[in-house]
Amino acid sequence: MTEAPQDKAQLVEEIIEVIAAEGMIDRAKVTPDATIESLDLKSVDIVMILTALEEKFNVYIPMDGSLQEAKDVKTLIEALAEHITKEREKS
Amino acid sequence: MMRASGGRRVVISGMGAVSAAGLGAEPLWQAARDGKSQVRELKLKRAYDGRIKIAAQVQDFDPAEHIEASLLPFCEPFSEFSVVAADEAVAQAGLGDKGLAGPRTAVIVGTGIGGMTTIDNGLYGYYREATRFDPLTVPRLIPSAAPTTLGMRYSCLGPTFAVSSACSSATQSIGIGLQMLRFGLADRAIVGGAEACVINGTIRAWESLRVLTPELCRPFSKGRNGMTLGEGAAIFILETLDSALTRGHRPLCELVGYGTTSDAKDPVRPDLHGVKTSIALALEDAGMTPADIDYINAHGTATHANDITESEAILAVFGDELGRKVPVSSTKPVHGHALGASGGLELAIAIRAIQEQIVPPTINFREADPRCPIDAVPNEARQTKVRAAMSNSFAFGGINAVLVVKAFEP
Repeated sequence: MTEAPQDKAQLVEEIIEVIAAEGMIDRAKVTPDATIESLDLKSVDIVMILTALEEKFNVYIPMDGSLQEAKDVKTLIEALAEHITKEREKS
Repeated sequence: MMRASGGRRVVISGMGAVSAAGLGAEPLWQAARDGKSQVRELKLKRAYDGRIKIAAQVQDFDPAEHIEASLLPFCEPFSEFSVVAADEAVAQAGLGDKGLAGPRTAVIVGTGIGGMTTIDNGLYGYYREATRFDPLTVPRLIPSAAPTTLGMRYSCLGPTFAVSSACSSATQSIGIGLQMLRFGLADRAIVGGAEACVINGTIRAWESLRVLTPELCRPFSKGRNGMTLGEGAAIFILETLDSALTRGHRPLCELVGYGTTSDAKDPVRPDLHGVKTSIALALEDAGMTPADIDYINAHGTATHANDITESEAILAVFGDELGRKVPVSSTKPVHGHALGASGGLELAIAIRAIQEQIVPPTINFREADPRCPIDAVPNEARQTKVRAAMSNSFAFGGINAVLVVKAFEP
């Protein structure tokens, strides 16, 4: 990953925005340590989040694979950020 | 859930298939047995901007080669696939053109959507090009077009309908046929499933659910990230054992068990309780114990959730020892996930597995996922004793359906 730290921080912020908006969760609850379970994110919410990320970042992220390993917000965001960064590097 | 006890014995007298492997149950079986994936680059008539560029598509299919000009205008791809598969099944059953005629034959064909090509074409024309609808749009697109077309073809006058339960459609249609024959509502039945969904709009819609893999479908394997769409049809001729014996026809196998449940929980996420109960009910219906099952053709979509839930359900019903030992393969990486037809294609493979005593492999398998602690028959077919086989289908909406077939013994 060749991104500057401030780019990564901004990306993480943007992802959090999307999770809060699409998951219909209070932004303040989306903290790195929060578990996915505590946010009550259903599979359909994840689909909506991934769709919004596709529109924002032009990246196709399957439901399965690394996202499924995520138990908390931090790992979920890491997984999403990795997909997005990879896609950016390709283009 | 009704039990088998007291009902008449039911056999499968013939079967036919259309799949990405080509026309016929045999090419489908050979592809599954040899682990030859039929997933290819999409060939679509209209411009396509999707991210998913592969499917197990039925390519280069010319319906006019198989269906007479008088019937063809009423058919669209899902009915065409049904007709071609049914002609094969009827021929194998040795019934001729009129052998199924009359009020004692039911026709029950499952489909997830029905005439998707007709819907796509009609709406494309209407919204995009302001053209008129083809006057036969409605009769072609209705999900019951497949069973009614078959009914007209073989003059079947008995109960005729479509079953639509997404990916469980074919399995449920076969199961309902079994129940009808057992309890005397019909003596013969044309059953199975058909789907023709590899078309721009559908693939894009599936893509947006994010359950399609952009790469390879690897059921039960580490690194799996989704399924690949398929299409086709599989049609079976069911008849009572008495009916087959009376006319001296040797059946392919006996259809002995059917279990079905609904999760009533989540539109897309499978539920362990519903899945394992359908497996247990199918065994109970067959009057069998887990030790009687030598092969399971899994639903095995290669989505994260399905494969874990299905593995857990198998272990829950079969027990920890047998559950890890019984060969369980998903043939979906070969013929794709053909949705409403998938349970039919997979039952055809399970029947051939019994006949040939060969268990087909789960291909594209990399490494065992500890959360799927089953024997997925990785990458290579296996010669082994197969007396009875199970075929699983678990649909969106939470409808689960499981069939059990066994080697025919009079």
